[in-house]
Amino acid sequence: MPDKDHKCTCSEQPLVPKVVEVIDIIDRTPDVKSFFVRNVDGNGLPFQVAPGQCGMVSMPIGEAMISCTWQEEQEHLEFAIKRVGLLTDELHQIEIGQQIGVRGPYGNGFPVEACKGKDMVFIAGGIGLAPLRSFIKYCFKHREDYGKITILYGSRSQADLCFKEELFDLWPKESNTEVFVTIDNAEPDWNGHVGFVPAYLEELNPSSAGAVAVVCGPPIMIKFVLQSLEKMGYNDDQVITTLEMRMKCGIGKCGRCNIGSEFICLDGPVYYLRQLRDLPPEW
Amino acid sequence: MKVLSKTKLEAALNKLSESNEVFVPMQKKAQSGYYPWTSFVSGDEIMLEALNVYQSPKGAVLPQTEKMYQIKQGGMEIKIDKTFEDDHPTIIFGARGCDVKGILAMDEVFLTRGYEDSFYKARRSANTIIANACYEPGSNCFCNAMEVNAVDPAGADVILRDAGEAFVWEVKTEKGEAVTAIIADLLEEKEVQLPQSKPFNQKVDYSGVAEKLKTMFDHPLWDKLSASCINCGMCTFVCPSCYCFDIQVKMWGEEGYRFRAWDSCMFEEYSREAGGGNPRGASKERFRQRFLHKLEFFTERYGTPLCTGCGRCMIVCPTDVNIVRIIDAVKEAEVNA
Repeated sequence: MPDKDHKCTCSEQPLVPKVVEVIDIIDRTPDVKSFFVRNVDGNGLPFQVAPGQCGMVSMPIGEAMISCTWQEEQEHLEFAIKRVGLLTDELHQIEIGQQIGVRGPYGNGFPVEACKGKDMVFIAGGIGLAPLRSFIKYCFKHREDYGKITILYGSRSQADLCFKEELFDLWPKESNTEVFVTIDNAEPDWNGHVGFVPAYLEELNPSSAGAVAVVCGPPIMIKFVLQSLEKMGYNDDQVITTLEMRMKCGIGKCGRCNIGSEFICLDGPVYYLRQLRDLPPEW
Repeated sequence: MKVLSKTKLEAALNKLSESNEVFVPMQKKAQSGYYPWTSFVSGDEIMLEALNVYQSPKGAVLPQTEKMYQIKQGGMEIKIDKTFEDDHPTIIFGARGCDVKGILAMDEVFLTRGYEDSFYKARRSANTIIANACYEPGSNCFCNAMEVNAVDPAGADVILRDAGEAFVWEVKTEKGEAVTAIIADLLEEKEVQLPQSKPFNQKVDYSGVAEKLKTMFDHPLWDKLSASCINCGMCTFVCPSCYCFDIQVKMWGEEGYRFRAWDSCMFEEYSREAGGGNPRGASKERFRQRFLHKLEFFTERYGTPLCTGCGRCMIVCPTDVNIVRIIDAVKEAEVNA
């Protein structure tokens, strides 16, 4: 019984995964792989996602909430997954053809409509580019709806940069778009920028006039980027970020992902900074 | 009025048990809780006169562990083709108002806000609540402060009223009608004297607490209040409204099942993330989460507190954490604007 607050597309058994087949696996970095899945019978997808929404990905050993990549023609679902725990270790060992479980879509997704007409500033660190990539792709598909697009991405090292083809080949070719990439420490064969994301952001100083900044990355990066944006004149309605908490059910029942009275899996994970200011400082 | 004579109580429980699993408050050796009537053996004691048995009846709708679905794995294949929604008819016989309120709170969680939990829905749809009105509050009771009407509990399908020799049998809903029909020949029409309601011993004032707590997340009072807590989780285990659950798996080689089990916000692992981070890694943070969930967050989200005033947590806590004193402390605390 979906109520009016949620555009629910869930099944009658929201906690029971659908079995899908992994049809492709791409190594993104030494510890990030993209998994492409579709229904086992070869036809269609278990669900459609909006930019910023997530899915619960499972193997028998466990389940985890993973951001799901939006694409205009959804012939498969893509999950870009970093190896950090029990389930993701196991996922990194599977081969094409393996069946896994997925359920979703979960979460609110990015406010793509509300951002129309704005200059977009995307700021990501590490695997944090995965959710933003959906929004970035959406903007390029609807290029005329958005103003200038600035993408700033940082990772620990060159090897850890995700989605290199998009960063270095595809996105810079888009109109009225600038892409900036930085790594934490200098490397012999790296000619690009070296340094942390917040400092680089302040150096680039994209104008806050008519702009929205969308931030995703490790908590420590988010913390300092938010401070930088404030210094640069971005108000709390011009900053959007996504939160991460431990999740089990994905549908606002099991309890653990709450911040205050919000369940991040259901009401989030995307928030305007103004909304976060109203929550207990546990994010 | 309809009454069930106490001499016919066991006959009624036997009759109801023919078509329902009937959970009855019982003392079984050192344990008390709501157990299936069919498990009653010599030496057990029916505890309809006790106010709160140790274990609340929440397990009738949210079992401590519950199978969800079967998993079969073979080569590259995974099969999930059997789920375990359980809709066998159950009756909670003799639930007190605080415990009924706990189930109403779980109804909000599991059946609203976008998703219906199919496992909870199956059990709850087939569940009937026969409540037992309270006329004499116990020394730890404060349900009156937590939006519970102990004499006329909302959510009950039938209300029992202990009138000495007999229980008044008051039908409230269609589900109540259905179970009444089963034992119709054991009920009598008779006028009996209802007991007088006695006053509560605990004086608790929850008014304004949720609103005030919103300004007290970083208040030094949490350091003091949480100092003795050892995060044992007893309070969440006996609480009639604590519903948080974990999802786990049991595999024997290539076959097994995913199940859920009661979890506790008191445990460090509860909110620990895969990368090792934990927003509530410290004992104080988990303590604060529990009491804010009970007294502020749930009220903000669902319009009623998640504490039902049953008093169990105050009785079982090994370090004397006391939610009434926490409410008092919040009321008295000075808050810098």
